[in-house]
Amino acid sequence: MLSVTSFTAEDLFCYLSNKKDILVLDVRNENDFGRFSVESPFPFKMVNVPYFDFMEEEDISVAKVSKEKPVKVVCAKEGSAQYVSEILVAHGFEDVAFLKGGIKTWGNMLTPKQINLTTDDYALFQFIRPGKASCNYGLLYKGEMIIFDPSRNLEFYQSFANKQESKIVQTFETHLQADYISGSKQIANMTGAEIMAHNGDFGKASFQYSEVNDDEKYSIGSGGPEIRVIHSPGHTPGSSSYIIDDKYFISGDTIFIQSVGRPDIGGKAEEWSVILYDTLMNKVQNLDKNLDVLPGHFMNWTEANDDLVITKKLDKVINNNAGVYAIDSPEKFTEYIKDNMRRSPDIYDKIRKVNTGRLDVEIDEADIMDLGKNECATIAYTVQ
Amino acid sequence: MNLGDIKFDQELDCRGLNCPLPVLKAKKTMDGMSSGDVLKMISTDPGSKNDISAWGKRTGNEVLGMEDEGSEFVYFIKKA
Repeated sequence: MLSVTSFTAEDLFCYLSNKKDILVLDVRNENDFGRFSVESPFPFKMVNVPYFDFMEEEDISVAKVSKEKPVKVVCAKEGSAQYVSEILVAHGFEDVAFLKGGIKTWGNMLTPKQINLTTDDYALFQFIRPGKASCNYGLLYKGEMIIFDPSRNLEFYQSFANKQESKIVQTFETHLQADYISGSKQIANMTGAEIMAHNGDFGKASFQYSEVNDDEKYSIGSGGPEIRVIHSPGHTPGSSSYIIDDKYFISGDTIFIQSVGRPDIGGKAEEWSVILYDTLMNKVQNLDKNLDVLPGHFMNWTEANDDLVITKKLDKVINNNAGVYAIDSPEKFTEYIKDNMRRSPDIYDKIRKVNTGRLDVEIDEADIMDLGKNECATIAYTVQ
Repeated sequence: MNLGDIKFDQELDCRGLNCPLPVLKAKKTMDGMSSGDVLKMISTDPGSKNDISAWGKRTGNEVLGMEDEGSEFVYFIKKA
């Protein structure tokens, strides 16, 4: 058997964000490929040729793959990618590798970027999850670490905390997530960290947490940067945003760089639209316009700055979404929401149950539930 | 259609195998069957659902039925 090399999801993100001239060959069936595939901060070449095409018509399929570039083969779990890689090597391809662990690892991968200046006495990181187009955050100060909206990638957080010589002491939830499974419970079990969350979303949770309320102030360590709670309901009743050091606005899914959080996922579009409208007009618009908005999700990489951090000043975000902020009545806003409503993925209900601890799932199932790009914004993705 | 009524000519047990093996083995087994013969295949790989369906469409091998029993998937595939 020919031996082929493998690469990791982290490697893949590295190639893509460094604009390496590679060809991504996705060998999953077209349905699965259409639902969710690799996305990059920059344009890149990708082709989808299902592995069974290689089985049925080897030469024709191989001809669809360019020999000019390094070929990075991806599939669901790694087996098919390895199989196709071996076929390509047998056809004389010199630079072929397959994604170890499959596209599942791409879906779970987190990549860290420091947001604030390294000369500050604290560090604020954005952890981007390219496979979900979601962001969560880490705040570190004097050996302690707080995570905002952690995902299930416990290995990443533990390893990151270790490298930073810090102990995870708290997690803050902005809201009850519907599109991914939160890692707060497991982090709390693993580290003894305290979960901070709003009763509006977590009141029925089966696990212990400490409640946060509007305008409360917390700090990390003594003398560390202040964390101010802004109850910002609408996407969910308990949605809360966190302002760090009067500079950074961790907005969860209330507002994004493009669009605002959709208030219809809970099945109460009319009621929650009015609540969201109030939050946007009376709270968000009255915040310091110089705040750096740090959202919970993004639609595409155009929302990133030159350092590949997903962020924008609040005044620019409001400008970008001028159409929304110009809506002059809650009734008109509700109409706007209804016009843009679309089905939420069926899995969202189940994920919410897992996130309140009312449903336990095996790791394998959790992995699958968690995959796929988010559908959290009011505006659906535009066709590129 | 009651899947229990489907007559099949060969049975292939792919339990415990992950892709590409279920489809690969189905193909190899089919290659040795005659046109019109039906293969009953059992798989535990949830990824096999979409793959068998797509492979069937591609090759003209008709998937007569599929039973999802939670942890096991049973396919009846008729050779083109």
